[in-house]
Amino acid sequence: MKSEFVFIALPACALIAPSAFAVQYLTVEQAQRAIFPGKTFTAAPVKLTSVQRKAIEQASGVRVLHDEQQVWRVSGGGWFIVDEVVGKHEYITYAAGLAADGSVKQIEIMDYRETYGGQIRDQKWRAQFVGKTSKSTLKLDSDIKNISGATLSCRHITDGVKRLLAFYEIAIKH
Amino acid sequence: MLQIVAMRIKLAVTAALLCCVSIVRGDEQLFGFVRGAETLPAHRWEVYQFVTLGEGKREGTYYGTHFETEAEYGLTDQFQASLSLIQHYFYNKGVDGDRDALDNTNAYRFGGFEGSAKYRVLSPFKDPIGVALRLEAGYLLHDDVDGLDQHERYIKPEIDFQKDFLEDRLICAVDLGAEWAWGKQPAEQYPRELSFEGAAGVAYRFAPNWYAGVEIHTRWEYPLFDLSNFEHRVFYAGPSIHYSQERWWATLTWNYQVYGKGVDEPADGQTFAEETRQLFRLKVGFNF
Repeated sequence: MKSEFVFIALPACALIAPSAFAVQYLTVEQAQRAIFPGKTFTAAPVKLTSVQRKAIEQASGVRVLHDEQQVWRVSGGGWFIVDEVVGKHEYITYAAGLAADGSVKQIEIMDYRETYGGQIRDQKWRAQFVGKTSKSTLKLDSDIKNISGATLSCRHITDGVKRLLAFYEIAIKH
Repeated sequence: MLQIVAMRIKLAVTAALLCCVSIVRGDEQLFGFVRGAETLPAHRWEVYQFVTLGEGKREGTYYGTHFETEAEYGLTDQFQASLSLIQHYFYNKGVDGDRDALDNTNAYRFGGFEGSAKYRVLSPFKDPIGVALRLEAGYLLHDDVDGLDQHERYIKPEIDFQKDFLEDRLICAVDLGAEWAWGKQPAEQYPRELSFEGAAGVAYRFAPNWYAGVEIHTRWEYPLFDLSNFEHRVFYAGPSIHYSQERWWATLTWNYQVYGKGVDEPADGQTFAEETRQLFRLKVGFNF
């Protein structure tokens, strides 16, 4: 009987062994170079007021997770923003580059730690966001195609970009 | 001596296999007894080990430990199938009351096999509510109360609902199902039985990788498929804690029998003929 329970206990011990396997695909600098090659960046972090926070949530329909937003002004015009959205287990970190007119230039997935849904790094899926503005619908299965099997990640990134575009209009455009 | 060597070899092989498994990391089930409406993505595998301990009868000492080893595969993003191996270990002594008389037992029993298929109709991440249809069937050689011989065949259709809130950090799930079982004699008095099952739970992700939840599950049994022939009903409730990494997860649940009523038992708020005072369940899962 004792040996039976040793076999049963082993899977529990094995749980302790694996360490977190967080994948950082891009650092901030790498993401900046990927979206705005050859440009220089000036940090311009934004701390939202409660009024701005409410206005962003009202405009986007998406809850603001953090009052402080990492923002860089890009030489020659444009903005580089690092943001987080909720993944199934942990946050998904991504970067958005906005052109001088506030439209999306490019998004890049920086950190992804989820079991499934890594297909959101696919260039074709991310290309759907190019040119989107705060006036865009930005809704899954509407103007953004879903990736079956990665629905949670697709929806949260889509919501995140929608919130960032509202953030641009309310907190950094003027 | 030979037995010791054989056991060491078995341990080494098992440990090596587990180390291989530990290289990959997995997904999760947030509750012990509640299923949500999610399914595996296409062409992905998940392997689970459930250990459920039922403890406590009206008198004496009772431990019924149930082991379910399950392999699950996503055939499409909406449809998954699984196969399970069921095993038991029973230890009971002095459970000799009128309502739950059992022979003293200290033995392993092979349980049998189960298979299931689950189809996700609506996604909890995209649609207003997640809905999945599940069908389970099994063949069991020993009963799960005291390991008595039987040749039970059963089929269990179920519908699972899931509604997420707060960016999918607050998960609410409800399952409703029925079970038709044949071949339960001689472990039970009647050869066939109809049961209704329900479960509900709420879990909240209070920190990255961690969920805490509460859940309740119930079972109502009717021998001979006759709804006028009530046998017993039981409600269990309690907390669960869940931890996950990319390729593995674990869920620990404690459920206490908060209400039970058996037809041949005193109406004192608990039933013991086929149930226990409390249930502990540990689930671990690995994703491939």
